[in-house]
Amino acid sequence: MLPPLPAGIARIIAVIIAVSLPGYTNSGGEIGVMTGVAADTRQIAEENAKIAAEVQEMLKQPLKQMLKDNRADIDHIMGSSVDFQKRDFMLCGSADRPGICCYVDGLVDTVIVESILKALIVFGGELHHEPDKLPSAEDIRARLMINASVKPCLKLGEGITAVMSGDTLVLIEGFDEGILVSTKGWKDRGVEEPASENNVRGPRDGFSESIRTNTAHVRRRIRDPQLRIDGMVIGTRSKTDINIAYIADLVKIGLVDEVKQRLGRIKIDAILESGYVEEMIEDAPFSPFNTIQSTERPDKVASALLEGRVAIFIDNTPVVLVVPSFFWQFIQAPDDYYHRYWVGTFFRFVRYCAFMISLVLPSIYVMLVSFHHEMIPTSLALTIASGREVVPFPVLLEALLMEFAFELMREAGLRMPKPIGQAVSIVGSLIIGQAAVQAGLVSPFMVIVVAITGISSFAIPSYSSSLALRIFRFPLLIASGLFGLLGFATVFFALLLHALSIRSFGESYLAPASPFSRTAQRDMVLRLPMWMMDYRPEFAQDSVRSGEHLMPEPDKGNGNGKGNGKDGSQ
Amino acid sequence: MTNKIYISQGMLVAMIVNIIYVKAIGVTQGTLARAVGQDMWIATLLGILQGAVMIYATYLVVRAMPERDFIGIGEALLGRWFGILIALIFIVFFIAAFGPVMITFVYHLKDYFLPEAPLWMFIVAALLVGSLGCFYGLEVMGRIALVGMAFIFMLNLLITIGSTHEFDIRNLLPVFESGVKRTAAASLHYDADCALAIMLAALVLPIVKDVGKKGSRAAVMGIVVSGISVIMWAILESAVLSADVTSQYTVSCMKLARNAHIGDFLQRYEMIMIALYSLSALFQVMFCIYGTAEGAARLFGLKNNKWTIIPSSIVLGFFGYWVIEDHFRAIDYLEHYWPFIAVPIAFGMPLLMLGLSIMVGKKPDVSAAASK
Repeated sequence: MLPPLPAGIARIIAVIIAVSLPGYTNSGGEIGVMTGVAADTRQIAEENAKIAAEVQEMLKQPLKQMLKDNRADIDHIMGSSVDFQKRDFMLCGSADRPGICCYVDGLVDTVIVESILKALIVFGGELHHEPDKLPSAEDIRARLMINASVKPCLKLGEGITAVMSGDTLVLIEGFDEGILVSTKGWKDRGVEEPASENNVRGPRDGFSESIRTNTAHVRRRIRDPQLRIDGMVIGTRSKTDINIAYIADLVKIGLVDEVKQRLGRIKIDAILESGYVEEMIEDAPFSPFNTIQSTERPDKVASALLEGRVAIFIDNTPVVLVVPSFFWQFIQAPDDYYHRYWVGTFFRFVRYCAFMISLVLPSIYVMLVSFHHEMIPTSLALTIASGREVVPFPVLLEALLMEFAFELMREAGLRMPKPIGQAVSIVGSLIIGQAAVQAGLVSPFMVIVVAITGISSFAIPSYSSSLALRIFRFPLLIASGLFGLLGFATVFFALLLHALSIRSFGESYLAPASPFSRTAQRDMVLRLPMWMMDYRPEFAQDSVRSGEHLMPEPDKGNGNGKGNGKDGSQ
Repeated sequence: MTNKIYISQGMLVAMIVNIIYVKAIGVTQGTLARAVGQDMWIATLLGILQGAVMIYATYLVVRAMPERDFIGIGEALLGRWFGILIALIFIVFFIAAFGPVMITFVYHLKDYFLPEAPLWMFIVAALLVGSLGCFYGLEVMGRIALVGMAFIFMLNLLITIGSTHEFDIRNLLPVFESGVKRTAAASLHYDADCALAIMLAALVLPIVKDVGKKGSRAAVMGIVVSGISVIMWAILESAVLSADVTSQYTVSCMKLARNAHIGDFLQRYEMIMIALYSLSALFQVMFCIYGTAEGAARLFGLKNNKWTIIPSSIVLGFFGYWVIEDHFRAIDYLEHYWPFIAVPIAFGMPLLMLGLSIMVGKKPDVSAAASK
């Protein structure tokens, strides 16, 4: 049978056939073939819809006592998928009690499946059990099976969904309930260092595509029973597991309910990545700013949970979402906390500079050169003028061309296979840049400005936020190039107003700068010593993070330097 | 107004500072220099004192009915018609205020940075940002005012660093050369700047957190902080440029800014200062739109001012364009009309309301208070 075509596509195909092959059309020019194909596809689509409705209805049915009925239902639901396996067995080796193990090849650990079969076929005999002495699924679970996670299953739909998730469904003749055994065992890529969030000092482990491995990463860091991980499933077809993690006695009051309510509102066929969820729960859907933090680092998530925030884990993606999030967090890096505070503060300051440079440097350069050259110190103005002498383009166009070329190289370098990507970057940045300057297409100063801007944008730890900044750079650049200081001020302040207006799960996006919080300044532009950061953010339930007088004060009298307390007793 | 929002006292202080500062350093000092020469800083000081007294009177009016702004209080005192009259006065005031606000904003940018740019461009740009801020509401306006205040401190720091090496205290002498009476009369021009703050307080005080207990302190603090920030410029302009030179300029602060330099390399940095200054200038525009739009919304009985922002911006835009189109008209309006519109309204209204509150002695009805 042909796969069904959507009616619109079938109609287009029919028109193409009719136009290119006149013989297929009738005398009136109206298309007989077209109506025929369209009618066929419509009929196929209707049949498929009918089958889908039947399947949906069957999934709601309870399991039946007769194995052959259950087998027939499963065959009808699953069709002829080659990866779907049904392994027959005889309970305790008795031909009176046949059964089947249903699982999806590739999703299960076959060793566990074998252990199930061994228990069902061999252990019963070894333990001198007769099938009749095991009258229910519960008896089998309790007296035969050795697997860690086994639960009863009453509905066919529940069983199928579990099988699709990597579990094994055991059905036995005469039982109107099945047994679900956790046998998840697909191959994943293991724990690796996050590719997009590098650090020099600190843990190297990153999240992977397995949701359970990811939650375990966080559990290993926070061994607090108050760390709760609630589950839900989103996606009518993908049935993606979503976990919501929080520390019950720290999390902002009402935040978990808000997160669950927003997640519960999502009605979609599939969630393939955290980006799907992010776009559907954010506060400012039209804003280019990210109001939800995304990370591949377990230490970042653990830190967020300890601040009273909520993490959203999504299966099949290494990216975990954290809410609420604040703009300044995107400029902070884990290293800030792992290095000594002087170093952390210094590099944080460098990153703030990088943020400002990446946002405004090309705009200021274009504005000064186009409109306000009298503001440039004379010696510098002469240098710039000598470089621009041969350039035929206005400075705005030159800047736009260079910015576009930079973005082009970045995108090409990203999409190409790694070795070629590096080559493209080198060819693009060195050879083309040099050639463009020598050809007089761009000025050397513009190359420097664009290069510094690009490097600065890479210095921002959050890649997704640096992308937002790249987007903002263009309107700012165009406004500055067209209207000078007026355009720059207008767009910049409009942007500032917008940033001030948005929220992330009820919290102001620019907090703690606006609204200003004095205590939170210890960890915004500055990174004060750990012994001074004794408070959590204001929204957390328990605001006290650490004890008092934690500053190390070595006992100078005996020089052993062990003491933390003032008496040096430790 | 069903969604009750609150702003902090710091935001109120910042809003007052922003709304006074820009015009006060930009054009008022030139006017004062023309009126009283080197005594301009004394006139400014007198203006600060008067402004502080009047903003306290405004607070006293609001304290009696802390849930209501002046329009609401007017309604509670004498009925709906009086509320409409007060709303109309607010509209007239903020439309009239838009003239000096645009004189300050446009002449700074156009005369010194973009002389060839058409006037409409400045008006449209200012109105776009102003309308956006107004659309986001008072909370966002309060927040941007805080950023603006930080910019003002930076600007004052830069001008102080760049000017002190030419500071000559002899230019400030003799004190009271114009006489006490003339100096006091000249303070009317600074009073007109304070008038904007008083009208802002009349609208905003009810949404300030804990207004009953700490509202007066925040309001008076706003006038004092803005006064300190402005008087620095008055003293610097007198001492560095001299009163004679200051009086020659419509936008006298730009002359001082141009004069400032740090070392040999940074000879010109007035653009940085103007960039810092723009935010406060745009805040003034923003609040003029807010005041007009809020007045119009209350006049027509609308639940919020979102629908009146664009019509108000258009009216303000036309009036602003008409004022700034001609420099002579602008200066004439600034010096001879604006103070006589601003001061009677802004100083008269709190006194009138205070008097009415005492005479009528009527407590607001609970339902009206709840409806706000």
